[in-house]
Amino acid sequence: MVRVLLKNVTKKFGNVIAVNKLNLEIKDGEFMVLLGPSGCGKSTTLRMIAGLETPTEGEIWIGEQLVNEIDPTKRNTAMVFQSYALYPHMTVFGNIEFPLKMARVPKQERIKKVKEVAEFLGISELLNRKPSELSGGQQQRVALARALVREPEVFLLDEPLSNLDAKIRTQMRFELKKLLSYELKITTIYVTHDQVEAMTMADRIAVMNRGVLQQVGTPDEIFYKPSNTFVATFVGSPPMNLIEGEILKKDNKVIFDAGEFSLELPEDVGIEGKAVLGFRPQHVQIAKEEKAGFVRGKILGIEKLGVESYGHVTYGNLEIVIQLPEEVGSNITEVYWKPKEDRIYIFDSKTKKLVYG
Amino acid sequence: MTPKEKERLIRRIWIVITYVVLLTFALVYLMPFIRSLVASFMTWAQASRYPPEWIPNPFTLENYQKLFRLELFPRWIRNTALYAGLIVAGNVMFTSMAGYAFARLKFPGRDVIFSALLSLLMIPMFVTLVPNYIIIYKLGLIDNIFGLALLGITNVSSIFLMRQYFMSLSNEIFEAARLDGCGPIKAFFYIALPLAKPALGAVAVYQFLGSWNAFIGPLIFLRSPENFTLPVGLSFAFQRAMWTEYTPIIAGSLVASAPTIILFLVLNKYLIRGIVVTGGKG
Repeated sequence: MVRVLLKNVTKKFGNVIAVNKLNLEIKDGEFMVLLGPSGCGKSTTLRMIAGLETPTEGEIWIGEQLVNEIDPTKRNTAMVFQSYALYPHMTVFGNIEFPLKMARVPKQERIKKVKEVAEFLGISELLNRKPSELSGGQQQRVALARALVREPEVFLLDEPLSNLDAKIRTQMRFELKKLLSYELKITTIYVTHDQVEAMTMADRIAVMNRGVLQQVGTPDEIFYKPSNTFVATFVGSPPMNLIEGEILKKDNKVIFDAGEFSLELPEDVGIEGKAVLGFRPQHVQIAKEEKAGFVRGKILGIEKLGVESYGHVTYGNLEIVIQLPEEVGSNITEVYWKPKEDRIYIFDSKTKKLVYG
Repeated sequence: MTPKEKERLIRRIWIVITYVVLLTFALVYLMPFIRSLVASFMTWAQASRYPPEWIPNPFTLENYQKLFRLELFPRWIRNTALYAGLIVAGNVMFTSMAGYAFARLKFPGRDVIFSALLSLLMIPMFVTLVPNYIIIYKLGLIDNIFGLALLGITNVSSIFLMRQYFMSLSNEIFEAARLDGCGPIKAFFYIALPLAKPALGAVAVYQFLGSWNAFIGPLIFLRSPENFTLPVGLSFAFQRAMWTEYTPIIAGSLVASAPTIILFLVLNKYLIRGIVVTGGKG
C-alpha cells in the first residue's frame, strides 16, 4: 500500500492546458475520487499516474519513488477503463491471465492466481467464455479481476460504471467500494463526472474544472463547504441556487438586495457590496401564505420526483429552484419562500470564492 | 384498396424491379464466364463462328485433353502456386507490420512517409516496370519466380487496408495491454495480430487472386517455359505464328480459375470485410 503524490503537475496538448499545476496527495489506502465535467483534466491526471501520458511539468510520486520516467508496467498500478478494454479474442481466463503471462509468472502459479481472483469476484463459472458473451456487469468484473490479479499498489478507475445501466450501477457502486476500501484497503483513484458516485464512494473528493483543482475534501466538506460557485453548483442535485445582488446594512439589519426581491441575512454576515448568494433547493422554508421575511414567488413549473418535488420560480431572467413540501399539490401557482438562515452561502462576486457559510 | 395494401403492393413492385435489375447485371457480368464454359466444350471452328452459337455441337473434351497433354501444365500450376504463396505470405507478414506501425506507433515522419506511400497508388505499374526490370536484372533474378515475387511481396493497398483496420481497433485495448506489460512488439503479436484476422484474410484473398491471375509481370520477368506461371504458359502454348487457338486457352483459364472461384465461395465474407474496412475497392 502506498500514497500517490502529485507535485505541480501540468499537462499541455499543444496549446491546450489539460491539467494546470495540480498538487494533490492521495493517502495510503484512501479512496480518492476525481470529479469534474468532461474535459476538466481528470482523466488526463489518471492517465499520467498510470503512465499513459507524460506530464509536461511537475512530479508524480508513487510511494517513495518518482515515477515520471518509469514505464507504466513498472509502476505497480492497475487501471480499469470505461470500455473495460477486455481482449475480445481471449477467454475470460486468458484476459485475467494476460498480465501474469507478460510478467513471466510460471504457468501453475498463473492458473492458481486466476482461479483465486475469479473466485473472489464471483466469476469462476465464466472463465471459459469470451468477453462478447458476457453482460456489462460481468465484463466489468472481468476487467476488475484482470487489474487485481497483479496485486497492484494503486488502483485506477476511469469512469468504470458509466457503461452500465442504472440498476447495476447502484449495485456495483457499493460492491466496488466494499471491495477496494474495506476488503483490500488499496489506494484507489476513481475518475467520474457523476457526483452521486463521488459522494457515495469517496473518502475524499477532488473537484476539478478546466484543468484546475477546485477543492479537495470529504464528501461532507465538498457538499457543505463548497469553496467556490463551481463546486457549489457541480455537487448537489438540483444544483445550488446562485443569485447575484448586493448586501446592504439598514437599521442594524443585513439585507440582500437581488433587484426583484430582497432577503434578510443573518447579522453575522460582515460583508457589504456586490456578492453572490447561494442556497440549496433543499434548504428552503416554504409558506403557503404571506409571512414576514418570506419572498413571494410565481411557480413556473413543478418537477415531481416521487417523494421530492421541486418548484421552479422565476423573477425576470432569474430562475430559482426550491424543494416543495410533499403534500403540495401540482396545481399551486404561488409560494412564499425563504432560505434557511444557517444554510446560506455568500460568494465573492468577482473571484466566486466562498466568503461566508 | 386500403392504404396498407397499397403500401404492400408498392413494396412488392419495388422488390420485383430490384430483382430484375440485379439479375440483368448479374447476367451481363456472368456472360463472358458462361461463354467460356460453353466454348471450352466446342471445337475452335465452332467457337469462332459468327453469329455465336451457344450449344456445343459436336460436344468435345478435346480442349481439356490438349491441356493435360501439355508436359509443362503441372509445372505451371506449381509455379503459379509458389508465386501466389510467396506473395500472400509476404503481404500478410510485411503489410500487417507496416500497417501496425503506421496506425499504432508514433515516430517522426510517420504521416509524411505514409502519404508518400499512398501517392504510389497513383503511379501506373508501367511507369515502374522498366526500373523494376533493371533492378531484378542486376540482382540476377530474371527468369526466377523468387525474383518476380520480390516485386509483389508487399503492397501499398494492403498496407493501407491493414492500417485502417488497426486504427479502427479501440485505443483502450492497446493501452490496457501496455499497462499489462506489453511493449509495442508484444502488443503486435498478442493483441493486434489476433484481432486483425478479418483484415489479414482480406489481404490474403486479394493478393492470392491478383497473383494467381497475374499476366504482365510473369510475362516480362520470366523467360523459360518451365518457369512460366499458368496464365503466361497457356497463352504461350497455344499461340501460333499467325493465329491463336483460343479454345484450349479458355479451357485452361477455367481450370486455372477453379481455385480462385472456390476461394471466393469459401472466403467471400473476408473480401466483403476488406471492402468495408477500406470503404472501397481493396
